[in-house]
Amino acid sequence: MITQEKYRTRVKELLANNSVKMVIGYKQGSTADRRRPLFVRSFEEADELVLDSNCIGNLAGYLVTEGLLSDEKRVGIFLRPEGIRSINILAAESQLNTEQIIIFGFDTSGREVKALQGEQAGDFSGLIDSLKEKPPEKSSDALLYRIDQMNTEERFAFWKDEFSRCIKCYACRQACPMCYCRRCIVDSNQPQWINTSSHTLGNFEWNIVRAFHLAGRCVGCGNCDRACPVNIPLRFINARMAQEVFESFDHYAGTSQTQEPVLASFNKDDSETFIL
Amino acid sequence: MTRILFSDKLDNCIARWRAAGLTVFGPVKTDTLSSYAAIEQASDFDFESVLPDRSIKDLFFPQTEPMLRYTIKKRAIETEDFTPPNGKRIIFGARPCDASGLAIDDSLFGWDYKDEYWIQRRNESVIVSIACTKADDFCLCSSLNLAPDSSTGSDVLLRPLENNNGWVVEELTDRGREAFLAIAELLQDGSDPIAPIADVPEKFDLDTCVAWLQNPENFESKFWKEISMRCIGCGSCTYLCPTCHCFDIQDEGDTYSGIRRKNWDSCSFALFTMHTSGHNPRATQSARWRQRIMHKFNYFPGTFSVNSCSGCGRCSRQCPVDMGITETLQKISTLQP
Repeated sequence: MITQEKYRTRVKELLANNSVKMVIGYKQGSTADRRRPLFVRSFEEADELVLDSNCIGNLAGYLVTEGLLSDEKRVGIFLRPEGIRSINILAAESQLNTEQIIIFGFDTSGREVKALQGEQAGDFSGLIDSLKEKPPEKSSDALLYRIDQMNTEERFAFWKDEFSRCIKCYACRQACPMCYCRRCIVDSNQPQWINTSSHTLGNFEWNIVRAFHLAGRCVGCGNCDRACPVNIPLRFINARMAQEVFESFDHYAGTSQTQEPVLASFNKDDSETFIL
Repeated sequence: MTRILFSDKLDNCIARWRAAGLTVFGPVKTDTLSSYAAIEQASDFDFESVLPDRSIKDLFFPQTEPMLRYTIKKRAIETEDFTPPNGKRIIFGARPCDASGLAIDDSLFGWDYKDEYWIQRRNESVIVSIACTKADDFCLCSSLNLAPDSSTGSDVLLRPLENNNGWVVEELTDRGREAFLAIAELLQDGSDPIAPIADVPEKFDLDTCVAWLQNPENFESKFWKEISMRCIGCGSCTYLCPTCHCFDIQDEGDTYSGIRRKNWDSCSFALFTMHTSGHNPRATQSARWRQRIMHKFNYFPGTFSVNSCSGCGRCSRQCPVDMGITETLQKISTLQP
């Protein structure tokens, strides 16, 4: 509650002196545990801000809403550490200018919410470096462990079964801060690169193309996984890609706004083991 | 005295229906998802969940449906139609909101163009609904002139007994009577008390909302932008909706041969209304959300005299950003018409 009050006060301060035109945060949702995105433009809206351990969605994707930042005014946003990494990637990919973003960083350990020190993306580099030092724990999840133990055929069968529920609603894409393309490859229909049908081929085409596009860019915020209405465990695909990229290229997505995208840069010392 | 189907007779019923050539479907829950699916035995049914995650629409209008196979030859184009799969079936344990959803879409798919896929599946399906004794915060049938025990769209309505050991049978249509003739001797006469239906509080006054939507001045209201600001533009509300029925026709294949398919499409997508010229009449997410609400509560009833919403609440229940029809209509009901 202390962090929430502190941040509400700070949001009002920034609105009062016109330092930000809007702050993107959370408010109470339709049930006790649900929080929904809130766009704060007034003191009344600032009083609706909620910050607690139920604030789990990564809000970074709203920053690339068409036209939001084009007036060069500043926007505030509530972000967990992975959300701050998303901001760095968006900046590295020239999607936004971090000087326009005021960050209300927070993290939850247990039920308590703690504020992160800093307001500009660069202020959190120490924190993100420390996260890189302890890379994603391998197989911390029982299902991920089970997938890791599978052979290729078993793993293919596992994902074929999981993807069979896909209905092509593209909630994973829409919820993902990294899926900012104005026209996604599935929306290209001359030619239709990706089948819109949710048969086996169409489901593999979509989910694998998305996984490749997120390699070295996914920060593991879990938005896709939570958004999926048919409960496909999408986080495992992206977590695995992140692990591969980390081990092969020492690349931890979103450490800074000048970090080169791993699939758009090369180094003469890069591993070539995959070249036959 | 009423006719009662006791739960312990359900396996016998399933056997009789199968012997009569019906495939038995019903609500099924797996580790990952609940939906309407084919079942083998009574223990496969999930009667405990408030309603399945996926709507009954899937069984009548699947996400992807092959329509024809084409082959382009030197002097001719050969086509071969896919006909809807034949097979009589009984869907046991449908929720009244899902059954009502089917009745709503009957008017559309049986309108000027007769959708043979929908109509054939409807004609071959017996819908046996169970009145709801449970509801959650998202259920809203009572706000839409429906109820947890609505019989719209059902061939038979079952009312759970208070002891939770069976159902009182109300046969509503000839199709329902015929299916229950096969199990007539498994039914018993009795006067066991029925369980009270679920309490679904009214969430908004529909007439007030409709009046507001019908006022042309509100089409450009700033309300639409405000209410849909957090909409991320995915199609999950439309795809889980039992009444959303939009689709796209796609040819899959190469220049010389392929399959024409009918695939779900969603008004939430920017591409849905994109013109070849690049102009998009619904250029913003707020225009798309407005379309969804207007279609369900203004345009559709204007043509078919029924709202295109049966109050299942799936749109709100699973929305990644906690939006939905309930919140929008609740807010509209507080606005000046």
